Amino acid sequence: MKEIERPTRNNLEGIGGWLNPSRYGWERISYWFQRLTGVFLLVYFIGHVYETSTIVNGQNAWESFLELTQTLWGHLFLIMVIGASTFHSANGIRLIFTHAGIGLGTPGRPDYPYNPASLNYRQKSGIWIALILAAAAMFYGFNVLFGV
Amino acid sequence: MDLMSCLECNESVKMANRTILKESQIMKIHYITGIAAIFVVALHIMMRLVVPFEQSLEYDYIIANYKNIIYVLILESILVLISVHGFNGTRIILLELRQSRAWENMVTVVTISAMIGLIAYGTRTIILANGL
Repeated sequence: MKEIERPTRNNLEGIGGWLNPSRYGWERISYWFQRLTGVFLLVYFIGHVYETSTIVNGQNAWESFLELTQTLWGHLFLIMVIGASTFHSANGIRLIFTHAGIGLGTPGRPDYPYNPASLNYRQKSGIWIALILAAAAMFYGFNVLFGV
Repeated sequence: MDLMSCLECNESVKMANRTILKESQIMKIHYITGIAAIFVVALHIMMRLVVPFEQSLEYDYIIANYKNIIYVLILESILVLISVHGFNGTRIILLELRQSRAWENMVTVVTISAMIGLIAYGTRTIILANGL
């Protein structure tokens, strides 16, 4: 039986590998955005659960906490949340389809320049649709929050 | 087979026996909670938009929301679905960054504990606000 190799250090690049912009294609931007928006939305969600918990301390506590969020920056932050959640949802649905093998295309002969068949126009379209939906949702949120 | 590989082989069998869910099953849960969360969050946002935004944040309006049993169920399902999805997503990200048995166990324990803590705290708010 072959001895299992013990890696000296796993995933050498770590977060630096994520953030390295020199190898960015649309798929890499999508990969990074999916994680970035996911972490951002979880942080927002924890803050939102805490924010709403102030209501059990009475009307004054609720309204004083609400004053902190009902500001220009608070509304701009909410618009970011709307954009992040829309992108994360739309791109997440694309990833579920991809995981199920839908939209990957059929394997072809590896000819120069060896473009992978899986990174095709369907995947790129999905990423663009997610970005456009996020922009549209942010625009709608801007109209609601700022009453334009 | 040398002694080291034999020990690792036994360890992996033991770990496999202790596994509650396979990673493929966890990914299915991740996808299902994500899709379900889209629907319940959409309902939550629609409840904010049936009245002018400023009015939807008024104390009396929100307390009335918490007394509506259907809306309470929506809020509780949002809490559970997003907590499971969010903390499992965090676990996946952390396991992508580093891999070892100790790290994986630590990440799993921390994310599950945080998930349970957030669900408990949010549920407390729902129950108390329902009684106001």
